[in-house]
This record gives sequence, structure tokens and C-alpha cells, in this order.
Amino acid sequence: MKRIFIDPAKCDGCKSCTLACMASHQDMTPRRGTLEELRQVLYTLDLTDPTVQSRNRIVSDGKGGYSPLFCRHCDVPDCAGACMSGALQKNLETGLVEYSADKCAACYMCVMSCRYGVPAVTPDRERMIKCDFCQHLEEGPACVRSCPKKAIEVREV
Amino acid sequence: MNSCTDCLSRGTCPSADKPMEEYIRRLPLETAHHRVEGQSTKCGFGLQGVCCRLCANGPCRVTPDAPRGICGASADTIVARNFLRAVAAGSGCYIHVVENTARQLKNTGLHRDKLRSEKALNHLAELLGVAGEDKYDLCVKVADKVLSDLYRPEYEGMELVEKLAYAPRVKRWRELGILPGGAKGEVFNNIVKTSTNLSSDPVEMLLSCLRLGVSTGLYGLQLTNLLNDVVLGDPVIRSAPVGMNVIDPDYINILITGHQHSLFTYIQDRLLDADVVEKAKAAGAKGFKLVGCTCVGQDLQLRGEHYTEIFDGHAGNNYISEAVLSCGAIDAVLSEFNCTLPGIETVCEELKIKQICLDVVAKKANAELIPFNYETRQADGDRIIDEIVAAYTARRGSVPMNLFKDHGNRNTLTGVSEGSLKDFLGGSWKPLIDLIVSGKIKGLAGVVGCSSVAYGHDTLTAALTKELIARDILVLTAGCSSGGLENIGLMTPEAAELAGPNLRAVCKELGIPPVLNFGPCLAIGRLEIVATEIAGELGVDLPALPLVLSAAQWLEEQALADGAFALALGLPLHLGVPPFITGSKLVTRILTEDMVSLTGGRVIIDPDGKSAADKLEAIIQEKRKALNI
Amino acid sequence: MERFVIIGAGAAGITAAQTLRDFRPEDVITVISTDERVHSRCMLHKYLGHERDIPGINFVAPDFFEKNNIYHIPCQTVTKIDTQAKTVYYGGEGYSVPYDKLLLATGSAYFVPPIPHFREAPNVFGFRDLSDALKIDDAFARGKRVFIVGSGLVGLDAASALCRRGGAVTIAEMAPRVMPLQTDDYAAGVYQRVFEDHGCRFLLGIGASDAAVDGEGNITEVILSDGQRVPCDFIIMAAGVRPRIQLALDSGIKAERAIEVDDHLRTSAPGVYAAGDCTGLSGVWPDAMAQGKAAAENMAGVDTVYEKPYPFKNTSNFFGVTMLSVGRLDLTEGAEVLVHRTAREYKKAVIKDGRLTGYLSLGDISNHGLYLHLIKNGIDISGKKDRIFRLTFGDFYGINEKNGEYVYTV
Repeated sequence: MKRIFIDPAKCDGCKSCTLACMASHQDMTPRRGTLEELRQVLYTLDLTDPTVQSRNRIVSDGKGGYSPLFCRHCDVPDCAGACMSGALQKNLETGLVEYSADKCAACYMCVMSCRYGVPAVTPDRERMIKCDFCQHLEEGPACVRSCPKKAIEVREV
Repeated sequence: MNSCTDCLSRGTCPSADKPMEEYIRRLPLETAHHRVEGQSTKCGFGLQGVCCRLCANGPCRVTPDAPRGICGASADTIVARNFLRAVAAGSGCYIHVVENTARQLKNTGLHRDKLRSEKALNHLAELLGVAGEDKYDLCVKVADKVLSDLYRPEYEGMELVEKLAYAPRVKRWRELGILPGGAKGEVFNNIVKTSTNLSSDPVEMLLSCLRLGVSTGLYGLQLTNLLNDVVLGDPVIRSAPVGMNVIDPDYINILITGHQHSLFTYIQDRLLDADVVEKAKAAGAKGFKLVGCTCVGQDLQLRGEHYTEIFDGHAGNNYISEAVLSCGAIDAVLSEFNCTLPGIETVCEELKIKQICLDVVAKKANAELIPFNYETRQADGDRIIDEIVAAYTARRGSVPMNLFKDHGNRNTLTGVSEGSLKDFLGGSWKPLIDLIVSGKIKGLAGVVGCSSVAYGHDTLTAALTKELIARDILVLTAGCSSGGLENIGLMTPEAAELAGPNLRAVCKELGIPPVLNFGPCLAIGRLEIVATEIAGELGVDLPALPLVLSAAQWLEEQALADGAFALALGLPLHLGVPPFITGSKLVTRILTEDMVSLTGGRVIIDPDGKSAADKLEAIIQEKRKALNI
Repeated sequence: MERFVIIGAGAAGITAAQTLRDFRPEDVITVISTDERVHSRCMLHKYLGHERDIPGINFVAPDFFEKNNIYHIPCQTVTKIDTQAKTVYYGGEGYSVPYDKLLLATGSAYFVPPIPHFREAPNVFGFRDLSDALKIDDAFARGKRVFIVGSGLVGLDAASALCRRGGAVTIAEMAPRVMPLQTDDYAAGVYQRVFEDHGCRFLLGIGASDAAVDGEGNITEVILSDGQRVPCDFIIMAAGVRPRIQLALDSGIKAERAIEVDDHLRTSAPGVYAAGDCTGLSGVWPDAMAQGKAAAENMAGVDTVYEKPYPFKNTSNFFGVTMLSVGRLDLTEGAEVLVHRTAREYKKAVIKDGRLTGYLSLGDISNHGLYLHLIKNGIDISGKKDRIFRLTFGDFYGINEKNGEYVYTV
């Protein structure tokens, strides 16, 4: 499977990944996601709208550096192991923990169970939010491509 | 060069000028075109204008989780403040230019030096209502009139506004409370407004942008041209070479960059004096030539009729200055203002090109500063010439030549101004108005402003221009957009073939291209004079005209001040990328929608040439309809 | 070739079936369930509220059994297990299935306290299975006055579903506040108000002590301990559950309150395992899944120690008001209690000996998963008290360089 590897030492906290994630999911209809196309979305992202959510977060490490928090698509995912609707499933072929919003009952067992605190709730409290590896983009995760420091990269594990 | 292998491993950005794109791609030096890729990740907060670093609590960035800065500033406040700050800085640039230009005219009068257009002087004196004992005294009086207005405090209204601006506009500006005070004071005051925890009112700040737009446009743009005409000569329509082919390696070549043509007045004449030419010959060259680049090159080209001997031609706009320098045959850069990219420094260093700055505001890191001073201009001029000759001697033979002799063309129509165009039309705007009324020319589009590279060098400017002329819309250009469009041949008479059938027929009949080159960005002021005069002849206000503006590839703060003038004039203004405002719904709405009810103008943002042209054409059609034509 | 039989098709049973199939592609797996269709008990309220249909509360793919080649015997109650002959008997006709390994995942049943008429009345329902929901749906079509006993998660689930459909719901709760196990007074007050806003009435600190019945034995009025009489059309029991152990008891498998299991989830009978609510180890969905998985692994011969679950954890989401409650908020003796309250948020942390022992968050519970981990594992947070409500995994950041997964650094 592929996983986004993180080198926190390289992270400058610019949140380009966060905005790229928002941009990539602004309109979930499958489309291409070149950096240029994502940039066009960046201009129109409503950064005062709470429904514009990022699946990743960058937090300060308290020592002048940053700790990027990205879904690991764990080998043994706590979230999928807690899901009572079947919305979260580990795809054994791709290794990704996939989310089906239609099935989700918004019980938030996943939020409670992820020990790394990755899953988030939507403002309408009807869905959860987690990394989908930008499967709707041919070019792969928008965050990785937008990182100016190459602090995150997709690697095979 | 240490970055050489690095830059070769990277790609370059696309350019509308394909031969130039290829030339730059193969350069062994790094240019802006190479650096685009390394800067391709844009900060989304910056793009949207919602990053604030006005205080030590910052930088604060607006996100859905953190909708206000630490101080409590909303996205609207942060965006408006950043925007006003940019407009104020841009205004300051143009006001600096007009101030120096007026001082130059005054000194010319005081020293009873050469004037190239008494006609222009008399026109200006009449416009400003100034009389003098003789032409020199008139220069002093005119200049003083302008300077005293510039230096007026911000709380006193500028005196010349009503003389320079179209009356219906002045009326509207008065209603909106955007008649400017002293132009320098306006810049000062608005910078104060945007400082930490001062103004937080986005609407007031946007109105201030318009007020700055008025002072910038009337003084920085329009007056600068008129003042320059006196000393530097009136534009005359002519055919001229453009592009890198203008560079003749047999001469000592001086690349000029900046915006203040009047600072070159002395030296460009001096370089033709026999004793100076002798210095060149002694060094092994045929003489001296000025090669134009950026807007000061455009201005020289515009007035090229008066400088055929010293001026080789315009090589190109700001974003090919690094490429022009890398041809090897440029021996010195004389610069005095912006669009002199820091990127030329490494190129100059590598190719031993002497850099001299004539104005401290644009001091380049490794340039020698010899600020222009009227009193010492002769001694300074000789020193500059000697340094350039020394550079020529030191570098020629030891640096590689990389000429690009077939770049550009030799028959670009230049010299178009409000005066020369009217003369061309037989002394009246009526023929042009008739063509517009008959629909042979659907409307006018000013494709103006800068050149940028981040999303392609002149690509949008060129695509939009081609779309517009294909729709029978006559394009007028001013600024670095001219430099890009002329190098790709859109200002040669042959370009008529790219125009729609009606415009093509007009062009062929008159022997003109479908894109008319007004020269530097300062000449946006000339376009606006044209528009005002046409409106006056029709008896309508400016927003009624089938006229649109596009600063498709606006680059810098000056362009935003220009843009603010366009909005104050009530004109639709297209921009290829948003000016870092989209983070505020309020600011975006005011600029793109509500402005129509305020001034009649509005901002249209569209990164695509075709769809932008669709929108601009639709506006022109609407306005035609409203005029019943 | 081994024969696996699973009794029950809830979280534990289904997870076990899937896990067995993953480990044993060829072996025979049989699931016997009283339920006709697989459904998530935690989503019953979505069905009852008419937000979803029956397939909509299935938590596995519709072709789960076919795709995994698992025999499903629905609508059948297992009556006896012969642990010597390793045979399961079900159905009135005495059908039987032999097994090599058997999993009991019989779940739990709602509890009806010994109040006069409550145990016999035909209009007293539980809210555990789809069959319960169907019965309630039917009753609700005839009368919309609902009396719910208990304001735990199950009671509130039923209440939210029926309020949504315009029911006149009364909830009686013995404790002085709603959701007494998960909330504190403040959080309970918030939920109480939001339910009241949706037409629900609460009777707190009081219980039913008697009932009036009609000629068919249906309860028409609940009589409270203070003599108040509450007319109703039917009653939903949500006053707790009991592990279903009768089958185990009848088959000689050791059980008292619940079926006894060891750390491999083995029961007293050879080859017989148990998982889920019937083990009494925990009553929450994630633990049932984990037990189903661990039991199945052991059944498949993969030695898996099942670590005792941490049962004090839950989330709730009623009318868009979300809450996460982990640990013991009630055990505050000798502990430090920190509270953070804004217009939109309420958070409470209970800290004892530098360890978090309870955490409650009402409002946006995004990214709160680490609090459960901190409590469950007794991780030292003494240096982080000042930002206890803003802890992120960044405070314990570590990366496994080999596979890129995170690891806690403590």
C-alpha cells in the first residue's frame, strides 16, 4: 500500500497542505487536480466557511517546529474497527481506509476511537471527515504536491 | 555560474513568444522564467489576502476555525487593509515619477535647456491655466503648478483635478467623497490608515483606494505624459524594429530600464556628441546605442521619431530583461525605477555588465548609484559614460555572445498617442466614432499593464488580445503588455489577418494593425484621454462607452493603483488573477459587483483568454445597446 | 477442513465471520441468527425515525454472505448446544449443525424491572433489535403517546427517532439527570433542553411503580412512584440490558451474569468461544467488533490475547448536539476537575495523579480520539495540564520510520 510519509523536520507550518486539502475537496466531483487547477480553487475557497474543512492539520510542536497530523490509513485502523454502520472500511487491495458518507450514521465512534485524533466531524454533525488519499484526483494527494518543503511524500510500504 | 546546472535541470514557464521561450529555455543562466517552477506552490492565505503580519502577534491567517486575527480583525478588514496598502504604495510610485518629471521640466526651464515640443507646452499651459513670460518661464510655471498640487496637504483638495478630469466624473467623485487631497499626502495618509490597529473599516478603505486612483491617474499617468512631451518630444506614428534583433553588437549598448524617461534626457543627447562617440570608437565600437526594455524603453520607442540615431529599438518587456542581457552585447544597464528585476543582478555579474542606478528608490544591490542631479548632470554624465566604456573594454571578448538576431520584427507600428492618433484620423475623433457606430469596430479594449510569468509569460495577454481582435474589437495597449504583444507581431500591419472581418477591413484600409501601441504603462493615461475626448464628443459619461480595460497580467502595486483609477473612471477592468482579495466576500463583492452602482466600473476576474473575451465582448455589446448603436 | 459455527449476527458475530473467512478461505462457516437481516443495532433509531430503510441500516455489504461464502441461517433460535457431540440444535423441528469451533455472540437483551404489568403487557417493547423497532413502528402507527423508561443512549435514541416523527414522548429517569452514565449535570442539561425543544418531556429522579391496563393487558397509564399518572399508548424499556446467557446455561457452559471467558475468549466448553455483549466485558460496538475479531483469530488458530476492554467510553449525537464522554467523570475524589466553557463548547477533564481519568466534550468533538487513548493507557499528562483541552497527537508525536505509522512518544 501507499502511505504519506512525513518528515516533520522539514515542515514550516505554512499550511499549504491544509489549503490544498480543502481545495481538493471543495468540489468532490471527480476532476483533474493539477497544481494550477487547485490554485484556481484556492482563490475561491471561502476561508470563513466552517464547512470548508481540511483532512490534515499542522500543529505546533511547542519547540518552534511543527507536527503534521495526517491520516495514516493504519494497518489496523481503530476507526474502521469502531464503525457501526460499515461506512469505514479498510480496503485490503489499496490499503486505504475508505469512507462511505452515504452509509455513515454520524455516531462518531471513529472520532472517539482514533488514538491519533485524526477523524473530525462536519459542522452539520451528519458526517465525519478523514483523508481519502484524493482518489478523485489522478495526480494523487493534493497535500503532497502542494508542500513546498517536500515534508510529505507518498511512498510504498 | 553556480546555479547553472541547477537551473538547467528545471523547466521554464511558457511564453506567448515561442522563439523567446525556446531561447530562454536554453540559456545557461537562471531567469525569472526558470524560477517559476520553484515558486509554483503558492500560499493560499497570501493568494486570498487573509494573512496579516502588521503586528508581532502575527502572522495571523484566517481559517474557518480561526475567522479573526488575534486583534479581532476580520477577513474583510485584513483584505481591505492589505489592498489599500498596495494601492497606496503603487500610487506612491507613480507620484514619485510625476514629481521627478515636473522637477525635470522646471529645471529645463530654469536652465533654458532644449525643449522638444512647444506645442505640448502650450497645450499643457492652456489646460492648467498657466501663463508665462516666455517658453522657459512657462515650463517653470507649469511645473510649479503641478508640484504645488502634489505637495498640497491631504486635507486640501487638489487644484488641478477639475482641469484634468472629465466634468461628469468630477461630479460623481465629489458625490462619493473621493476627490483627492495633495497626492503625496494621500499616499501618506492611507499608509497610516493601514497600520496596526488603525482603520478597520473595509468600505472606507476601498473608497480610499478610489481616491488614490484619481490622484494616481490624473497626475501619475496623464500629467507625466504631458510633461514629458514638452522635454522629450511628441509621439509620432511610425514603423520601428522590436525584439532582440534591435541589438547591434558593434556598438556599446546600454540597456535602459525603469519609468522616468526624463532622467535620460541629458545622457541620451550627450551620447551622440562627437567627443563621446570618439570615446566609443577609441574603445573599438562604432558608437553608443540605447536598447529599450520595460516602460522607459517603451516611452523612448513611442517618441522614437526624435531619437533615431541613439535608440536602436525596444527589445522587450520586464520579463525578458534577463534574456536580453544574456545576449552578451549589452555592456551596461542604466536604471532608474521599477520593473528592474533583481534577477538581472546575477546575470550582470556573470556577464560583467555595468549596472548604474540614477534614482535611489530603485537602487540595485550591485549597481553603482549616481543619482540624477540637474546641477551636476554634465560631470555625472561623463562619469557614467566613462564607466560604461570601461565596462565595454573589460568585457568584450571575454564574455560569450548569444545573440538572437531573428527575434521580433522590424515593422511594428509605434508612436500612437492621443495626439498622434487624432492627427492620423485627420484631426478629429469622428472617423473612429463613425467606425464604432457603424459596427466595423465593435468597441475598444485597452489591454494594458504588466507582464508576469507565474502563469505564463504574456500568455493570457496574447490570448485575450487575439480573442478581442477576432471579435472586431480594436485593442489599444500601454505598458509591458505592449512589449509582449509587439514582439509576437500583433502590432505589425500583417496582424490585420488575425482580426475579425470588419476590423480587418478597417486595418487594411488604414494600413494599421488591429492592436495600437501607446507605449509605456504611463500611457494608460493617454488611453484615458482618448476615451474622455470621445465621450466628450458623444456627450456621454465614460461608463457609457463601449470600452473595456484589461490588466490581464497585472504584476505589481502600481498596476493596482492604475486599476483603482480605471474603476474611478467607471470602466470595466479585467484581471487575470485576483489582487489578493478573494478572502473577503465583502471586498470581492464591492469590487466586482457593487462598484457598478458607485462609479460604473467593476473588476472582472478571469484567468482564461477566451472566457474573459466573452465577458468583455458582452459588456461592449450591452453598452452599444444602451447607446442605441 | 474445519467447521465454524457462529451464533448471532451482530457486531461480534459478523466481524468474527469476516475474520474467519479472511484467515480460512476454504473452511465452512455458518452463522445462525434470530435476526432475519443483518443490521446495526446502533442504527435502529435511524430506521425508527424513518431516516433509513432496513437495507440502510445494514452495516455490511448486501451480498456479504454470498461474497464470503458463508452460510447464513436466519430467523432461527438456537435451543441447545451439545458440547460433547459438538452440535448446535435450532428450530422447532430440531435441526442441527455440527461444529469444530463455535462462537457464542448472542448479545444482550433488554431488561424489564419487576413493575406490575410491565413484564406481561403486550405494549411494552425493548429497543434492541430490528424486530423491536418493527413492533414500535407498528404501535406508533396506532398511538403517538410514548413512555420511555430510561434516558440512557438507547432511550434517547428511541426518543429522538419518535420526536422526529411527531411523537409525544415522556421519558422517566431514575437518576436526577439524563444520560447519567455519560454526562455531568451541565452536559445533561444541554441535552435535556434540546430534547425538550423537540417535544420531549422528562421526568427525572423518579420511576414507574405501577400501571393501569385495559382489557387486553395493554398499559394505558404509567403510575409513577409519587402517584402521578402518565397516559400512554405504549412503552419502551431502556433501563439497561442483560447479557443473553440462557443458551449457555442450558448447554452447561459456565455463566453467571455473563458468559465467562478467558483472555482468549474461550468459554468453559472446549472449542466454544464467546464475544460481544454476552461476555459482559463491554457494551459498546467497537469492543464487540474487537472481541469478534480476537475470538475468530483464536478459532482460526492464530493465538490472540484479548486485552480487557476499556468500557467507559461513548459518543452521542442527538439533534446535532455531539458529545464525547470517556473515562469516569463520576470518580472525582482526590482528583482535579478542570472545566472549559464557551458559548458553543463545554469540556471537562478529571485528572488524578498526573493522569487523565475522565474527559467530556460537548460541541465540536473533532480530533478528540486521543483522549480515550490517554485515559485507557494512563499516560502521564502532568506537564500538559495547561493545555489539557487542546491536546493533540502532536503532544505525543512519534513516527515509525519503517512503515510511516505514528507511534506515541510518552
